Amino acid sequence: MPRLSGVAVHGYGAYIPMFRIKASEIARVWGMPDSELPVLEKSVNSLDEDTVTIAAEAASYAIARAGIDPDRIGAVYVGSESHPYAVKPTGTIVADVLGVNSRLLSADLEFACKAGTEAVELVSGLVASGMIEYGLAIGADTAQGRPRDALEYTAAAGGVALLIGKSSEGAIAELEYAASYVTDTPDFWRRNHERYPVHGSRFTGVPAYFHHIISAAKMVVEDGYSLGEFDYIVFHQPNTKFPYAAAKMLGIPAKKIEPGVVCNLIGNTYAASSMMGLAKVLDQSKPGESILLVSYGSGAGSDAFVFRVKEGILEKRGRAPLVSELIERRRYVDYALYLKARGKIRE
Amino acid sequence: MHAVFRPPVNWRHRRFRYKLVVWRCLNCGAVHHYATSICRRCRSNRIDEDKLPDRARLITYTVVKNPPIAFEKQAPYIVGLVEFEDGTKLVAGITDCDPEELKPGTELERVVRKIAEDGESGLIVYGYKFRPAITRGR
Repeated sequence: MPRLSGVAVHGYGAYIPMFRIKASEIARVWGMPDSELPVLEKSVNSLDEDTVTIAAEAASYAIARAGIDPDRIGAVYVGSESHPYAVKPTGTIVADVLGVNSRLLSADLEFACKAGTEAVELVSGLVASGMIEYGLAIGADTAQGRPRDALEYTAAAGGVALLIGKSSEGAIAELEYAASYVTDTPDFWRRNHERYPVHGSRFTGVPAYFHHIISAAKMVVEDGYSLGEFDYIVFHQPNTKFPYAAAKMLGIPAKKIEPGVVCNLIGNTYAASSMMGLAKVLDQSKPGESILLVSYGSGAGSDAFVFRVKEGILEKRGRAPLVSELIERRRYVDYALYLKARGKIRE
Repeated sequence: MHAVFRPPVNWRHRRFRYKLVVWRCLNCGAVHHYATSICRRCRSNRIDEDKLPDRARLITYTVVKNPPIAFEKQAPYIVGLVEFEDGTKLVAGITDCDPEELKPGTELERVVRKIAEDGESGLIVYGYKFRPAITRGR
């Protein structure tokens, strides 16, 4: 049974760039009806933001909440599908920006939208084994959507970092369970040197997202939990419909999903997407409550985690911006400024 | 390759650009943006490593509409003169706002952003910018 003991979240931090584009503005450009759009609006990084800067800002908030010296961090893993360099790690830049000691494990991870939770799996294992005292697991993206493609409505920008260490007084949440479920499923991919990914349209639903989310949730049940015991359940959210549909299939009431849904207002932040839901839930949870988090990454797989909120949340929550505050801080751009901000205007 | 941003120079300045670490001359007060053992201005060897604060106030700004090489796609962008509590002044990019929102005295906080890219194949340079404070001094 993949239960963890003595591993806890000491800090968490989210960052969302301030620009937004309304899905109806994208629909206007391509002559599509603006009924039944997958989200209301999505976040857009500005020209001076990328996965490095987004990861660093989210991680700086996680460190601020934890209140620890960055020199005690022994690992920085950044999961993303939009690392700025094809070869040259994002993690080393982020670590230097944060002022982390060079005695450090660092690597960039890739697993579509679950690259961030993959980092959580790795860091929690390193902490449990005693190899490191604290580690940063970061999911950050400036996701790519081809103009006119269905993904253009949702591919968004944002990042979330978890600072994980040994359990101790003042922790924000115990991480008591971590497991993963993967298969070879070709629902979404991007080949080398290609600027935009390709997806399998309806194939991204039942055999991909739903199969993996549900299989991972069932794994949690097989390992001794019951879905009814969780106070909050967070699923990966590529659009607003999918997490509610998965909950319905599993017999989970919508009110347990609702607190962690952010997709409608910021879009799909890819590697940060399910972690953003977790951050939003931590923003409002109380000590003693439990959270089930199930991510999903195309290609395909799901990571499942159980968190139990601790007393530390009360003191540490207010040390950095809440997800709701970052959502409120927004400025709308039209499609032309969106193209400029995303570097889609080519000479 | 004709690099706009040379890796060694960029690497030497990284602590300054990521964290505003400076090397201050205790004799004449000159501020250096890279580790040095001798003051470039007065040749004193009394140098102290220091870190500038994460918050500053805006003194004045300008909007760049005709940018230099490697900054073309960012136009228009704001460059400001900011002042720290101890009186140290610094020229910095100002981000996440429109010029109309700025006035002398606006409280700013440091962020690290992408400064410029050296074409499609060269270095991506990161460094400090300032934005109107959102973290309320937390």
